[in-house]
Amino acid sequence: MADQQQMRDEELVALSQQGDRHCFEILVRRYMEKAYHIAFNFTRDTETAKDLSQDAFLRAYANLKQFDGRSSFYTWFYRIVVNLCLDHARRRRRVAWESLDYTSDEPAEQRQLADSTYAPDQQAIAGEAKRRVDQTLETMPKKQRTAFLLRNHQGLSIADVAKVMKTTEGTVRVYLHRAVAALRQSLVEFV
Amino acid sequence: MENSAPLETACKQYEEDLVLHYYGENSDKERRGVEEHLATCHSCRRFLEDLRGLLPQMAGAEEMPQAFWDSYYRETVSKLAEQEDRKYRWRSLFKPMRTWMVPAFGTAAVAVLVLGLVFGKGDLRLFIEPRPERIPQEILADEKQLEFFESMDMLEALGKLENQDDWKTDALNSDLKHAALPGGVA
Repeated sequence: MADQQQMRDEELVALSQQGDRHCFEILVRRYMEKAYHIAFNFTRDTETAKDLSQDAFLRAYANLKQFDGRSSFYTWFYRIVVNLCLDHARRRRRVAWESLDYTSDEPAEQRQLADSTYAPDQQAIAGEAKRRVDQTLETMPKKQRTAFLLRNHQGLSIADVAKVMKTTEGTVRVYLHRAVAALRQSLVEFV
Repeated sequence: MENSAPLETACKQYEEDLVLHYYGENSDKERRGVEEHLATCHSCRRFLEDLRGLLPQMAGAEEMPQAFWDSYYRETVSKLAEQEDRKYRWRSLFKPMRTWMVPAFGTAAVAVLVLGLVFGKGDLRLFIEPRPERIPQEILADEKQLEFFESMDMLEALGKLENQDDWKTDALNSDLKHAALPGGVA
């Protein structure tokens, strides 16, 4: 079992495809945090992010035989997560962005009490900045938003973002540039 | 934090390169070009500083406690097991049926076709031809209206015959009168 923990993704996938669920569970442990964080970036909701990312693992396992190894497992899996998140956003017709610099579910008043250094004017400015970013991301074309979240929040390289989005690196560069320019423009008063 | 100064835009031809520069995604040649430009361009330096200030803030992810991940993992593994159980349960249901499923479905399909033909009175046109267009009722002449018009035609014909008879009788009477008068035309 210790050997399996050290296996590369491709080896674990091959064994999982033969029906070894334990190998897939190792992949779950390996990618659960990333999967959750992508879903959280899209949804800004802990429970929804948890459900969507777990659903992505279930779908990946159910469709593992379709994975042909032409791309890496994680770009294939990221694609599943992103598609689920975009479907969810389409259903909800909105992408909430709760926080810029912290992501607590506590009400603002409680956070303020807990953190005495958090001045009311800073809170107001941060609230306004959050709202602007939220609005900008919400109105942004979904491909720009996806490219931005995968590169900026997930730290994927542009090459990997292109694989996840099934597009070219040049196109991802353009999406990323437009997204960043739009976000900077929306936050002009806060920079 | 707040700055009411108008936004300084980067040089258009460098803006995309600056974004890539921030992410460390440009080639060596591009990076050298950007660095040389930054040395002389205040607007582009400001743009890059803005990116360095804003983008990491947006990417800040919530750190979840280890208990959350343990619970997450257990739940996912449990859901995977359930999913697999369901799959095998369905397979076990269908497996013994496979030997007779094909002829059974074939027979059922034939039966449906036969029933369709019987209840459609063997008229295949019912299945093939499109249904006739529906014509509004007010345009259609109904049976009573047709009878009415037929009766009218008949009465009209009778009237004509009677008129014809009357004309013939009048003509005959007139002839007779002329014949009876002295010096009349014979």
